[in-house]
Amino acid sequence: MTLKTLNLNAFKPVWLMGLIPPVLFLLWWDHEAVKGGANALAFVSLAQVGQALIDMFATGELGLSYGSSLGRALSGLLIGGGIGTLVGIAMGLSKPIEWAASPIYNSFRQVPILGWLPLIGLWFGSGDLSKLIIVALSAFYPTVLYTFEGLKQVEARLLDVARVYRLSGWQTFWRIQWPAALPSIFTGLFQALAFTWISTIGVELLFSSGAGLGAMMQQAQLQARLDIVLVCILFVGLTGFAINFLIKRLSQHVLSWRSIRA
Amino acid sequence: MDYVPHSQIPGHKIKQTGAVSLKGIKKQFNFKDRELKVLSEFSLDVQPGEFVSIVGPSGCGKSTLLRLIAGLDDTYDGTIALDGQRVAGTSLERGLVFQDHRLFPWMTLEDNIALALTNRQISKDAKAKLVADHIALVGLKGFEKAFPHQLSGGMAQRAAIARSLVNEPKVLLLDEPFGALDALTRVHLQGELQRIWLAQGSTMIMITHDVEEALYLGDRVVVMQANPGRITHTVDVNLPHPRDRASPVLHKLKDEILAELTNVPEPSNPIVRLIKGDDQ
Repeated sequence: MTLKTLNLNAFKPVWLMGLIPPVLFLLWWDHEAVKGGANALAFVSLAQVGQALIDMFATGELGLSYGSSLGRALSGLLIGGGIGTLVGIAMGLSKPIEWAASPIYNSFRQVPILGWLPLIGLWFGSGDLSKLIIVALSAFYPTVLYTFEGLKQVEARLLDVARVYRLSGWQTFWRIQWPAALPSIFTGLFQALAFTWISTIGVELLFSSGAGLGAMMQQAQLQARLDIVLVCILFVGLTGFAINFLIKRLSQHVLSWRSIRA
Repeated sequence: MDYVPHSQIPGHKIKQTGAVSLKGIKKQFNFKDRELKVLSEFSLDVQPGEFVSIVGPSGCGKSTLLRLIAGLDDTYDGTIALDGQRVAGTSLERGLVFQDHRLFPWMTLEDNIALALTNRQISKDAKAKLVADHIALVGLKGFEKAFPHQLSGGMAQRAAIARSLVNEPKVLLLDEPFGALDALTRVHLQGELQRIWLAQGSTMIMITHDVEEALYLGDRVVVMQANPGRITHTVDVNLPHPRDRASPVLHKLKDEILAELTNVPEPSNPIVRLIKGDDQ
């Protein structure tokens, strides 16, 4: 092979490159854990983590916690995102509603999600309902914002066309305003997804009663079970990654008209 | 040169409807403390099936005028009537082609055109046939499933013309329909529009910056002046359609109109830009 034909692009699966840093990191980690000494307390060998994973699977503990977290995140997304989209639509289509809702929305939005914990905890306790409210709230904010912005940015020139062809309010919304706002609404959905997953784990860590990956990590920490903590972190990360991937695919499909260029 | 009325042009469908009457139109915009007169005492009668071109400098209110006729803006003094009926709001009887095609990027060409038929009380099949016929009329057969991004500027503008004609409006309003296109495409589409008008026969009122275009297509050319927008005079173009672009009559008329427009004393007048051939 001459130098000319040696092309970096020949390493076709570029994503393989992305595996190099984590593999190097894991090798270093395992080395630290196995060699012993003062650092050994802070590390736990990969074999041990693997064993913990197998045990947690076998007892059903992992499935229960994982399912519980995932269910909480998705129902929070559905409830918070659904209500958020409706509120965003109402604010985007009606000036009076925008005027009435904007100030309260914009001031409440300044409170970090976890800042609501004490209040919600006092009102609803530290059970599943409180957790669901927090998670739903974290999906609510971005969906309201991006739905509203998306509808506001629909150009008047497009709405003129709707008037020329005498589309009703509902027809104008469904045929023109909604699809025009969809790219922005998807941006909101992306954010909502990231926020719901983060807040799910966060709220489970703080209200550590009941099932969930966060609660499991909290208990593992108390028992100094670093291996369990690591398994949980692994699942949290991979799930976030997978959710993002799915939404990206979905938006590419729904918004395919945007990427089509002559 | 003898004038040949439409009724004697072979192939030109005669319509008894589509008479547009504008009487004493006054329109002003109010800014904080001052008012800007856009149109002052604008009156014009357009015959059924007639092609009227309106030329004038930027800011003479010609686009505003078209929005008033289309019914997109109801705040003016005077009366606008179509076949004796005062216009109020938009109507499928009055089609409008914008300077930019304004196709919806998320709909195929076919769906964009069908959108115009949303509220027509006719069968699905009849709608599909109208859409197909008008796609053929503007020469876009084979592009039914294409998205606007996949079309050239000229093709997109043809699609916009098809969309505006699919309701078979009595009058078609064209707001600088070829202003955003390159020179070659523009010349081509001017010919196409003439062909479509001859085949379709609805009244057409076209706004343009381009004196040559106005003369090539119009039975009458209305020349406007700005501040406030008003008609300075109208030119009858007594030439049969389809026309020969090289006709000496057109060139003579063009020189006359340009000479008149250049008589405007202030050098800062937008007319100067018109003469130079700048679009904006």
